[in-house]
Amino acid sequence: MSAETVLSSAAPEPSPPPAGALDWLRDRLGWDDLAHLAAKKEVPIHRHTIFYYLGGMALFLFSVQVATGILLLLYYRPSASEAFESVQYIMAEVPFGWLIRSIHSWGANLFVGVVALHMISVFFLKAYRAPRELTWITGALLLFLTVGFGFSGYLLPWNELSFFATRVGTDVPAQIPVIGPLLSRILRGGSDVTGATLSRFYGIHVAILPSIATLLIGVHLLLVQKQGMSVPISQKGRNERGALRFFPDFLMRDMVGWLVAVGLLAALSAFIPWELGKKADPFSAAPAGIRPEWYFLWMFQALKYFPASILGIPGETVGVFLFGILAAVVLLLPLLDRGAAREKPSVWWNLLAIFTIVAALALTVLALLPAKGAPK
Amino acid sequence: MIALSALALLLAAVRPTPAAKPTAAAKPAPAATVGCVECHLALDDSRLTPPAKAFADDIHARNGFTCVFCHGGDPAALDQDVAHDRRKGFRGRIPPTEVPEVCGKCHADAALMKQFNPSLRVDQLAEYRSSGHGHALAKGDTSVAQCASCHGAHGILPVKDSRSPVSPAKIALTCNRCHGDRALMESHKLPWDVYAKYSKSVHFKAREKGDLSAPSCNSCHGNHGAVPPEVGSVANVCGTCHAVFAEQFKLSPHWEAFKEMGLPGCVTCHENHEIVEPTEEFLSNGPSGKCGACHEVGSPGAVAAAQMRNDLVRLATETRQARALVRRAAEAGMEVSRANFDLGRADDALVRARADVHLFRASAVREAAASGLTIAQSARKAGQKALEERDYRRRGLFVSLGLIGLAVVALLFKIRDVDRERSGRA
Repeated sequence: MSAETVLSSAAPEPSPPPAGALDWLRDRLGWDDLAHLAAKKEVPIHRHTIFYYLGGMALFLFSVQVATGILLLLYYRPSASEAFESVQYIMAEVPFGWLIRSIHSWGANLFVGVVALHMISVFFLKAYRAPRELTWITGALLLFLTVGFGFSGYLLPWNELSFFATRVGTDVPAQIPVIGPLLSRILRGGSDVTGATLSRFYGIHVAILPSIATLLIGVHLLLVQKQGMSVPISQKGRNERGALRFFPDFLMRDMVGWLVAVGLLAALSAFIPWELGKKADPFSAAPAGIRPEWYFLWMFQALKYFPASILGIPGETVGVFLFGILAAVVLLLPLLDRGAAREKPSVWWNLLAIFTIVAALALTVLALLPAKGAPK
Repeated sequence: MIALSALALLLAAVRPTPAAKPTAAAKPAPAATVGCVECHLALDDSRLTPPAKAFADDIHARNGFTCVFCHGGDPAALDQDVAHDRRKGFRGRIPPTEVPEVCGKCHADAALMKQFNPSLRVDQLAEYRSSGHGHALAKGDTSVAQCASCHGAHGILPVKDSRSPVSPAKIALTCNRCHGDRALMESHKLPWDVYAKYSKSVHFKAREKGDLSAPSCNSCHGNHGAVPPEVGSVANVCGTCHAVFAEQFKLSPHWEAFKEMGLPGCVTCHENHEIVEPTEEFLSNGPSGKCGACHEVGSPGAVAAAQMRNDLVRLATETRQARALVRRAAEAGMEVSRANFDLGRADDALVRARADVHLFRASAVREAAASGLTIAQSARKAGQKALEERDYRRRGLFVSLGLIGLAVVALLFKIRDVDRERSGRA
């Protein structure tokens, strides 16, 4: 018996040829199940339904950041000697480089804003009530990651403003007792902001944070999918208007918002391309008016009001400690808000949140006002 | 009484040799001046007390020098006659004619001065003797400046101290105390409006902006040896700062010609005190023109001047226009750092071309201007290209927004259809 005969006799029965490529793929991917799931997924309709779009918008903007970020990677060079020049090259020479970088920079700011609004809307709708505590916690972690993206990405163009703002920003963790100085040193890759800081911020921005973010987004979406959309306490029993099918009804409405966002990003990029500034010079004095990105301004301003020492503890350490407590409260809110857990509107928590938001806005405005004696 | 005796004994113990030249090895003790100062302060006399008050802050007092080193006398004596005894070297008020010698007693002593400030010059007395002031004083003219006229007599401060009348910030005003006195200057047949003219100069304006390295009176005239620069040395004096211009001027045909004509180099065109910012108009036949004074219209010199002016004006205009374009592009958010860098190079070329005017060769100016012109034209093109790119982006944006708008409208129609279909089914 020849080898060929043996092989042919041992081979399994060939499957019948598929009717078409799509059917072939359907068999293998099993997307009928997905289609079935999509057909089943619904979004409640009530007077606050509009806030459901913020989650989709945040996800869309994250995708824009990933896509534009990957394109920027093709030309960006993460070293102190080449970073600024490579971004300059992207802005001036690379076809549509200006568009990609401007969309990435504007998109980052829009992304932070939308994520913050999403979080605030979820808070006031009390969507973190059981069984959605983990959805909130993953969302809060994603908010922290988002500002981490902003902080690490800000330094990458290696310009004067970002360099000195990062120097100030990486000084903040140093205020944490015991581990602070070490943490600051690890962040900087040394005692000061240098090319080593740029390298690690680059790694954090393009590898570490995206990996964690993708994982958390996956869990977050899975939880949303599993538990469905939360109906606010005030709307329970009132959603006589029924529900909206997610696919395609809600998705099409989502897409309208996404298209508007794309148009907005394109307009901002064309009319106000993200400026590059001057190349960082570590040996020069910090220029006047150094301040971080707008979403850190409230903390930046608040730290100015802390006295040099409180009960023998440095004022900044106390400030950083309070920010830490605030972050912990935000993260663990579903476990702390007992009222919401009992399906009751938690008035005190709402008042506390309103106070925090108003204070943060006021501090941001104060930080934006020109300092006394500052050159106009 | 016992206390007074004890004080007298103490003062006697530290009593220095009257009117003796101090030596660093035997540095005088501060207590030695107590007698003079105590009495003069107690006198409360408008002429005799202020010097004692002012001396407390004097650089000499701070270094342990006392009244007796200049005035002689016996500071330990409690009796005025004894303290002011001429046999003990007391000389009282020092006449102006003797002031330079009294100051020079220490300030011309290299060995002594080295003990206090090794970097301090010790040729001030020799310098002063060579000055216009020194010559006049030697002839007995006491209206001229001597050491105390500028430095003060009893509250002398270091030159670096901004309160000192001879500090870099105040020296011109100190000179003007006499040189702005019309009656005094007319009596010496000297101009009295030099400060007014100087205050219109580029040097004064630079100092007003805080640049104390810009020239003041002493930078050109010298300080202790102050004299007006002579005709032949003007270029050397200006050349201490404007080295390139001075070198070029010496290579130019004007160097010999000016010497023959007895014209004082740089100041022939730039003036001496009223040195205003030079412009291309210096090379014109207009009212600000300098060349027309010697070169008739149509002469080779006038033609060369016109050519140099044209080349400079062209480069300055081209650079200015290019800069305006590049700025517009930058304001629109375009990346034009390369063009900005090039404009800096064009500015450098203009500075070089302006400097080459001092060679008084039209070809040299043309050569320097030509390189700048090429750079400025390239920057201008970059600016234009950036503005075209800005317009292209905006056109592209409007097309994109149109397409996005269409897609939104299409989606809205689709949403309406789906909604109708659902409500129909319901």
